[in-house]
Amino acid sequence: MNEPFGDGVDEHSAADALFISLYAELHRLARRELNRRGPLGGLGVTTLLHEAYLSISDKDGTAFADHARFMAYAARVMRGLIIDDVRRRRSEKRGGLFHITSLDTELAGNVASPNALLQISDTLDELAEIEPELAEIIDLKFFCGFSFAEIAAMRHVSERTIQRSWEKGRLYLHHAIDSARPAAGGMRSTSATANAAHHP
Amino acid sequence: MPPITPDRWRILSPYLDEALDIAADQRPAWLASISERDAALATDLKAMLAEHEVVNQAGFMDGAVLDSQITHTPSLTGQVLGAYRLVSQIGEGGSGSVWLAERCDGRFEGQAAVKLLNVALINRAGEERFRREGTILARLRHPRIAHLIDAGVSKTGQPYLVLEHVDGQCIDDFCEKRSLGIEARLRLFLDVLEAVAHAHANLIVHRDIKPANVLVSVNGDVKLLDFGIAKLVEPGAYTYNADSAESGTVTREVRRAMTPEYAAPEQLAGGAVTTATDVYALGVLLYVLLSGQHPAGEALSSRATLIRAIVETEPPRVSAAIDRMTSGLAVTRHAAQCGTTAIGLRRALRGDLDAIVAKALKKNASERYATVTALADDIRRYQRHEPISARPYTLRDRTARFVRRHAAGVAMSAAVVLLGSGLLAVHTSRLSTERDRAQHEAEKALKVSELLMGLLTSADPYAIRQQSGEPTVRALLDTGANQVQLDMIDQPELQAEMLTMMGRTYERLGEHEKARQLLEQALVSGRKAFGPEHVRVARTLDYLGAMLANKGDNATAARTLEQALEMRRKLLGTEHADVAVTLVELGRVYQDQGLNDRAEGLHREALNIRRKVLGDNHMETAVSQSDLASVLRLNGDLAGAEALLHLSLETNRKTRGEDHLNTFMTLHDLALIATAKGNTRSAESVLRQVLAHQRRTLGDRHRIVAATLNSLAHVLVDQQRHDEAASALQDAAGIARAALGRDNQLVAVYTINLASVRLAQKDPAAAEALLREGLRIRALAPSLVPSRRRTFPQDDWSVGATKSLLGASLVALARHDEAEAVLLDARRDLESLRPFRDADMKATVARLVDLYVAWGKPDAAATYRALLQF
Repeated sequence: MNEPFGDGVDEHSAADALFISLYAELHRLARRELNRRGPLGGLGVTTLLHEAYLSISDKDGTAFADHARFMAYAARVMRGLIIDDVRRRRSEKRGGLFHITSLDTELAGNVASPNALLQISDTLDELAEIEPELAEIIDLKFFCGFSFAEIAAMRHVSERTIQRSWEKGRLYLHHAIDSARPAAGGMRSTSATANAAHHP
Repeated sequence: MPPITPDRWRILSPYLDEALDIAADQRPAWLASISERDAALATDLKAMLAEHEVVNQAGFMDGAVLDSQITHTPSLTGQVLGAYRLVSQIGEGGSGSVWLAERCDGRFEGQAAVKLLNVALINRAGEERFRREGTILARLRHPRIAHLIDAGVSKTGQPYLVLEHVDGQCIDDFCEKRSLGIEARLRLFLDVLEAVAHAHANLIVHRDIKPANVLVSVNGDVKLLDFGIAKLVEPGAYTYNADSAESGTVTREVRRAMTPEYAAPEQLAGGAVTTATDVYALGVLLYVLLSGQHPAGEALSSRATLIRAIVETEPPRVSAAIDRMTSGLAVTRHAAQCGTTAIGLRRALRGDLDAIVAKALKKNASERYATVTALADDIRRYQRHEPISARPYTLRDRTARFVRRHAAGVAMSAAVVLLGSGLLAVHTSRLSTERDRAQHEAEKALKVSELLMGLLTSADPYAIRQQSGEPTVRALLDTGANQVQLDMIDQPELQAEMLTMMGRTYERLGEHEKARQLLEQALVSGRKAFGPEHVRVARTLDYLGAMLANKGDNATAARTLEQALEMRRKLLGTEHADVAVTLVELGRVYQDQGLNDRAEGLHREALNIRRKVLGDNHMETAVSQSDLASVLRLNGDLAGAEALLHLSLETNRKTRGEDHLNTFMTLHDLALIATAKGNTRSAESVLRQVLAHQRRTLGDRHRIVAATLNSLAHVLVDQQRHDEAASALQDAAGIARAALGRDNQLVAVYTINLASVRLAQKDPAAAEALLREGLRIRALAPSLVPSRRRTFPQDDWSVGATKSLLGASLVALARHDEAEAVLLDARRDLESLRPFRDADMKATVARLVDLYVAWGKPDAAATYRALLQF
């Protein structure tokens, strides 16, 4: 837990105490997995976040109204970890934290390029200001890989509602990123290949 | 289209919801209707919907960066659990799969068996409990018991056990394949009994004895597997609910899951599982080994008939079972496998063996052999052609009468029977004369400990959770103690042994006086029986010393423990675990006497022994680390104390679990260090957690809760939060008064602390009343307050220091005459304690200066002010 936090964590404005402690906890759990099991060990994010939840609620029982609130928050923190890792990789080429939970450079590359991920993340922060619900669902779905059904169950709403929010949020991100680009036609570079989906 | 502003998005958003719910071919009509009201809105929406199509087709952000689920289940081969790597699966059963594993942390310890359990550990508390139980089982060491090496939970939440790998055959197959005769079968069976008796003496019941768990190696060595593991695997064991209705449901589920061939009636009926349950299963095993048949016979064919047979049907005698066999051929075959003929077999079984097996198989647990050793004794008597105990039934009648006389609580009946028939067994053993003395002694010692086990597990609040009906147990203990004192005068060895263990039990129940009586008597009989220097005498001395220390008689406690220490060192060598036990007890007494340097030496020595003998990660080692840390803290070595406490904390977490009182006690001690270092905020938050845990586990009114409140008050005072501190101290004093009596020195400590807070709150009148009460109590025992019970050095309120504080209150109340008398008195008291109480002395002189200034006596003030310069 004394490990310094990754570069760039300060850049996230929401670096309050809770964020930092959750970040450190997830970092610790992920590192422990790397030590114990090696890369691509098959630890799911569900397990990781669940462990973090137990650990955090042990320490700070009253911080979250319910499990769903925690999951949304933790997914946001998870994105922070991923983005930091992408940044570090970009600067170091190797040695990032996240092969651990199977975000391998190549796998991440299948979903989106490092630049695209950074852009998505920044734009997502904007969206969080306007419609936090949509941003949370994108954190859960895109960054943490939860299915619509899982997110719906988490929040006690219909799957259709989640899917609609996802469509809308994704549309916002695409629009904001696309219209911010100086020249047209660059959309391919940010979009992901349709069949990338999951790891082996 | 230009970027959409946040405001614009908020307008568009609900329309997009609507649009996305409409089929694509109806969207133009929908847009047209909007366009009539707001053309710009329709334009934006149209553009967004077009972009939506693009996004969809391009698969923008399809897929996910991480995966929420484990998407592949890697073969378990090669998986690492603890220090072991799984090599290949060697078995699969109801409770889980078994794997051959090898050590992979560099140390060579050959192979092990890893059992992956099918049991849901619902939450972290369940995991902790699983680990804790595993630690208890891991302590069970016997050459005939497969050792549990490790119990843990993998990161995926899979609980597993690492067991000694045993290569052997099930005992029934072994006997059959080797065509062992009845005598040889009995010899093997006695080996099994020896192992089970050892476990029972360590308070562990097997619960699942069956041939598959009794293996015999090629050399004929017996090994028992899975001791106590049935309890670990019980579904619901980790979601224990105090609600009896609910736990009843769980029990029923367990029953359904269990293979009942070797189950005792009480296991099927949901009754208490005790050592008698193992006796029953051993009876079934013996029945099978002798007759080649299960006692239920034909009823074995279906589960329902089997259960009825176990609960209701008296099985045929073993010798009769031979005749029940369906064909003469089967009889001849089994007889041949026993190396005899059908007639020879029947003759061998009829009579004594019939009676022995029948007694082990009694439906009513209290009618079975009271202990495994009693069963073994009868088999040995049979082998020696001596009369066996199972045949004269008057014994049973007497036991039953004893039960009727004493067993008010149904739950306690097992313990009662243990005591009742145990005592009877003692009487009969007096009659046998021609035995090897040493052997005799060993058997008796075992018998005594087994006999007492029933008592201890029922009455000892540390062994199991408090049960209702405790007074019955106490009454039972009283009865037992009387009988031991009166009936065993001519058996000093046995008497010493029983009195020692009963004394210990009384001590644990908090009955110091009764404990003292029995232990002192035990010492007398022990010296008579074993001579003045003997390990048993040393043990009685150790218990007696610890008991005296708990009662507060430090001087006698120190003398007694010094004797015990000398004897143990002489008999056991200087580096023995028992020597460490006495060192710790004595170290605590020295500490209570204020002899911190001496205490430090002893605690260091104990710690070194424990690290060497028990290892760094042992819970006893952690206790010594905490003890030493407490001495160091009071001696001012905060860094040293802190380092030790961190080690202790880690070990406590590992061995006792996150949720154990000792773990929280260590956290409390660490908070005291943090306070001393000025980290009051973090100390406060830790102390509040400790308090919450202690209240949950000990109740709101426990003296330990009071001590923690006192520590919390100090932290609050350091933060100038006097109101909160005062209310914590009021609680502490109230609790201590109720728990320890109004004259207890700790009541004085909390009361005087509260007075000093009142003074800081500018309420000298309240302070005065409190101080007078504090002084009254302190005057009853003017020597120092036991330092081990102190959380802060300043809690050591001497009478002088208390008077000085009273003087300060009187100064504030402007009662100058009285203040002068009290302060001068305080000064005299403190003078006699020099050079120890210099800080208090200085404070007193400063108060005198304040007094004379306020009183308008500048000369006197100047005199004392001059004294302050030194």
